Amino acid sequence: MTRQAIGLGVILAIALLAGCRGASAVAKPAGYIQAELEASPISLDPRFATDAISSRVAELIFDSLVKLDARGNFIGDLAENFQRRSPTEIRFNLRHGIRFSDGRSLTAADVKYTYDSVMDAAIASPKRAALEPLASVAAPDDYTVVMTTRRPYAAALELATIGVVPRGSPARGATLPAGSGPFKLLSFTRDEALILARNGARPSAESAAGVVFKIVPDPTVRALELAKGVADFAENNIQPDLLGYLRARPGLSISQFPGSGYDYLAFNFSDPKLRDVRVRRAIALAIDRQAIVGAMLLHTARVASGMLSPENWAFESDVTRYAYDPEAAKRLLDQAGYPEPDGGGHMRFTLVYKTTPEGRRLAEAFQAMLKRVGIGLEIRSNEWATFYSDVQRGNFDLTSMRWVGISDPHHYYQVFDSRMAPPHGLNRGAYSNPAMDRLLEAAEVAFEPARRRQIYAEVQKLAAADLPYVSLWWQDNLVVMSKRIAGFAPYPNGSLLSFSDLVFDSGAPR
Amino acid sequence: MIAYLLRRIAALLPVALGVATLTFALIHLVPGDPVIAMLGESAAPADIEGLRHQLGLDRPLGAQYLSFLAGIARGDLGQSIATGVPVATLIRERFPATLELAGAGLIVAIAIAFPLGMIAGANPGGAADVGAMGFAILGISIPHLYLGPLLMIVFSLDLGWLPLTGRGGLSHLVLPAITLGTAMAAVLARMLRQSLIKVRCADYMRTALSKGLSPTRALLGHGLRNALTPVVTLLGLQAGGLLTGSIITEMLFSWPGLGRLMITAISARDYPLVEGCVLTFALTYVLVNMLTDLLYGLIDPRIRFA
Repeated sequence: MTRQAIGLGVILAIALLAGCRGASAVAKPAGYIQAELEASPISLDPRFATDAISSRVAELIFDSLVKLDARGNFIGDLAENFQRRSPTEIRFNLRHGIRFSDGRSLTAADVKYTYDSVMDAAIASPKRAALEPLASVAAPDDYTVVMTTRRPYAAALELATIGVVPRGSPARGATLPAGSGPFKLLSFTRDEALILARNGARPSAESAAGVVFKIVPDPTVRALELAKGVADFAENNIQPDLLGYLRARPGLSISQFPGSGYDYLAFNFSDPKLRDVRVRRAIALAIDRQAIVGAMLLHTARVASGMLSPENWAFESDVTRYAYDPEAAKRLLDQAGYPEPDGGGHMRFTLVYKTTPEGRRLAEAFQAMLKRVGIGLEIRSNEWATFYSDVQRGNFDLTSMRWVGISDPHHYYQVFDSRMAPPHGLNRGAYSNPAMDRLLEAAEVAFEPARRRQIYAEVQKLAAADLPYVSLWWQDNLVVMSKRIAGFAPYPNGSLLSFSDLVFDSGAPR
Repeated sequence: MIAYLLRRIAALLPVALGVATLTFALIHLVPGDPVIAMLGESAAPADIEGLRHQLGLDRPLGAQYLSFLAGIARGDLGQSIATGVPVATLIRERFPATLELAGAGLIVAIAIAFPLGMIAGANPGGAADVGAMGFAILGISIPHLYLGPLLMIVFSLDLGWLPLTGRGGLSHLVLPAITLGTAMAAVLARMLRQSLIKVRCADYMRTALSKGLSPTRALLGHGLRNALTPVVTLLGLQAGGLLTGSIITEMLFSWPGLGRLMITAISARDYPLVEGCVLTFALTYVLVNMLTDLLYGLIDPRIRFA
């Protein structure tokens, strides 16, 4: 035989040896539910978990001082109560009797250790930057934590949402630190599955004993696993066009809840044409968001008026809105000095986006809609890291992105304050408006809730009028769930905290 | 034999160096920053610089390159930037799954291609030929992303014979192997058909027929062996491609192989892990070819003493 045939034999032999190594598919223990994830968590250690998937799983394992309720209000988690003692100090009184899953008691010293660890530059936590306003965390006794900020800081409770690990837990250790949350980690095989068991006794015989999170990258395959009954739960990772197929399956229920995921079109203010608010408004008027929500998103989103969704305590509804009006858009472009028919020749922008099939369709819809008013749009798509690099470096005219999990309106400071412009901030388009800066600075020291709400109402009105972003839509939370389980309560930010309340319907197979 | 082996290994070194150099250059040239991916955009400049220093990314590119090569020479591929786990450990965990899938894909390709090609080649222009080649064209045309879910719906969802996803026993391997091997089977089947049609006109075939052999026996006994040469050449060329070509199949079937690991590493700009994965794929390809040559040398003295 020829050398190629021998090569074939070699490969087969190697493959055979490899296959003999013994591998096991993900097995769901009895009494567990299986939830689908689209990607592996990057890190479950709450000191490092920043991506949405890692954060959602980590908050099932680790408790924090405070957590968010469904309206974006902070409520006690480890903290039984908390008081702001001064503009720079908050005191948290911890609940007694809380234990980590390894049996150790959770005390204030563990909270202090966790924060000291994150603030230690040597461990390179991605959360260190967010703790910049924090001066210190003290533990005067076992059940009291005192958080002090460097300056008066109204959004300080946001800093108290990091999951607590036992003191002495090494950073990036071989094993995950123990947590005190409703679940504990049994196993984690990257790119395959992670298995969480209930931490402590099951509240009732019907309660789920644990959760298997299976990592299934392909959206169609996730839908097939639900249809087959292999998987019991999926949230926000099933494509809208597959919902009809799943609806026809008698064993599944599909729920749609208001979500806080916010899609937007950002402008780069280094382009002189885009610095003209008339051009930005023309672009907002030229995009038929209602049509996109209906035809492309199949009504799984709501047209947005700003970054905060209506469920948020600080939401302001009385803002400028931009219903689809291409004629008004043309008039604005005329006023801005770009009259037809030459407008299209002069107005040419580059839209950069992350390469996904949905992104491509969306970019093409924008392109077609803007063309109707004489604006040319060149589409440039790249894989995530290159796209992210372009956005950070301001290498774009327009970009379409999404904020996930916005809860506190302080987020406006991070994205619209002129001091947060790149290279070290989230104001990627380098938007600068002194009036906005003044409002955001005032909000930082507004401790009275009504006053804070009032300032953020002004911020939302200014953002809608000045348009550093075109607000596109708020994504609904889409939950596909097996009818054999019940008890899931949705959070606008997609949190899975209510997994601890999931129960099997009596008589349903486990 | 030892001299031959040494010569082959010596020839392997420049190839490995070239692959290592290209991988290093490409991953460092494309935009993206592992430090920003780890710390986020809002990180303080001092923290960014601190981590850059800690990871050795603030050194001149030439120095980083030399360290990279020195590491390879010591058998040390470094640590994953994102997880801190040694790259060699991650590759050891994942590579067997990729080899298993590629091997099974190859078996499927052969199992489909040979009967199809022979049926078509034995009866050119007949109904069997049209049917077999129609199947082959379908196999070449149908993308993995469509074929995979189609197989899942039929054999897992509707018939319930096979599991949908994941790596486990033989039953888990069947659908991904068919998905991976079908396109290759189609190419091989067409090649075998063409080759068989060609040998049917050869003098030795006419001789065999004139000696009273039936057309089928003549084709199987004399034609097939000669027709196989170009097919096996093609098969050898494509076999290596199965290793890297399995990435989409791995994503589709949630198969925990090296391809998925590499895709994640590329997104995070995890330089050592990307370099490790690419190097593993490339060296495996080269190594398989080297082993092929060695085995070939064992059975053919002309090669051994050349």
